[in-house]
Amino acid sequence: MTHDVRDGLKYTKTHEWVKLAGTKAKIGITDHAQHELTDIVFVELPTVGKDVKKGEELCVVESVKSVSEVYAPISGKVIAVNTTLDDSPEIVNAKPYDDGWLVEIEVKDKAEVNLLLDAAAYKKL
Amino acid sequence: MVLRSPLYENQVKLGAKFTEFAGFEMPIQYSSIRDEHFAVRKKVGLFDVTHMSNVWITGPDAASLISLTTVEDASRVEDGKSQYTEILRQNGTIIDDTIFMHLGDRFMMIPNAGMNQIVTKWLTEQAKKHHLKAKVEDVSRDYVILAIQGPSSKDTLQKLTDTDLDAVKFFGCEEVKVAGVECILSHTGYTGELGYELQITPTKKATTVFDAIFTAGAEFGIQPIGLGARDTLRLEKAFMLAGNEFEGGRTPLEATLGWTIYWDHEFIGKEALLKQKEQGTFQRMTCLECVEKGIPRHKCGIQKDGADVGIVTSGTLSPCLNVGIAMGYVAPDKREMGSFLDIIVRDKPIKTKVIKPPFVPKDWAQKQEAIVP
Repeated sequence: MTHDVRDGLKYTKTHEWVKLAGTKAKIGITDHAQHELTDIVFVELPTVGKDVKKGEELCVVESVKSVSEVYAPISGKVIAVNTTLDDSPEIVNAKPYDDGWLVEIEVKDKAEVNLLLDAAAYKKL
Repeated sequence: MVLRSPLYENQVKLGAKFTEFAGFEMPIQYSSIRDEHFAVRKKVGLFDVTHMSNVWITGPDAASLISLTTVEDASRVEDGKSQYTEILRQNGTIIDDTIFMHLGDRFMMIPNAGMNQIVTKWLTEQAKKHHLKAKVEDVSRDYVILAIQGPSSKDTLQKLTDTDLDAVKFFGCEEVKVAGVECILSHTGYTGELGYELQITPTKKATTVFDAIFTAGAEFGIQPIGLGARDTLRLEKAFMLAGNEFEGGRTPLEATLGWTIYWDHEFIGKEALLKQKEQGTFQRMTCLECVEKGIPRHKCGIQKDGADVGIVTSGTLSPCLNVGIAMGYVAPDKREMGSFLDIIVRDKPIKTKVIKPPFVPKDWAQKQEAIVP
């Protein structure tokens, strides 16, 4: 993988990242994913309070030409969404690991986080 | 089998990402769709559109064959002119939309990608059936097609040819030399910008022209453009994409291409069109601009007050307007200009306004520059 992969984050094979802090986790898409999508022009975020199950559709990221689902890497309850993306979805391209985060959830089962890939494993994909 | 343009290696070198379209592996984008889109609106871009088809129509009855098989009377089209038209089935639905060029005693038709065999077969059959002395020859694989589009396209191309481009009128066509290579040049395009298209044979000479255009266009900021931006550029101008807008069988009247029909001649499908015109109850192509966030896509439903009234054939985010735009077919009494319709995107209604095409007016970029200090 030639794109930026951050140490300390967990990853999925479908190019989402998870940043765990206590019982909360921020979720976004990886630099590789934003690069493949290019020109993100619309992000459809879930409603706060929604329960999500691992593997289910969490949000939708659209580029000019494509519509891509982002899947929940872990289960939990949505406690915050990145509303700045409503007006500036291009932040996901510019800063996929920082200001371009998508959703924050209250983690249901921390064991699920441990099952995700670490940076080294994700880099090998 | 997936076909590639003879310029495939050039595209790889330029960093293209590829997609399959109508049996061809073609560049979808180089830098990014948005970036390429603005390059064409503001500067100049070069497209390889070799996936489009080339068909020679020759013989004493060539014009008669075109008149019979399209909604245009080819005898009206002067030598050195090209014409946009449609080829219809007997039932009035569109087989393909195309441009034909009148070049001396022969005509070159440019059917859409993947339509070369279908169109060639159809025209050949009709010639035989109606005893017309015309030869129809599919030469698609003998030609590379380049499109140079954008405000600086003329200045770029003029550096490479002795032909005075000011003398080539809109939709004019002629045989010229570009960078020393013989080409058929037409003042046409699919972007709504100033632009030209070049038909080049033999294909091995195309690299010379391709490279020369990039060198000549460097001072104007020329960029290679992929099919992604080609689609957003044409959609902002509400130009039809055959595979989307004519899918499932649509007539020129439904597609609001009635203006292309020359009624005062006999052509295949005419009777069906006259009947449909009289009935008047058919769905019509309608342009919708989102007034809420969301991006309409191909096959999204269109509703008014919760009732289905149509379907989206093409949708995207307009890079120029930064809102969702869509073309689609809507019931005749539900498409009043300025009225509102909902497009259903992932089960949610997005409010849209019926607008008069195009979405983006002529010389949009120049007007923008006039506003921005």
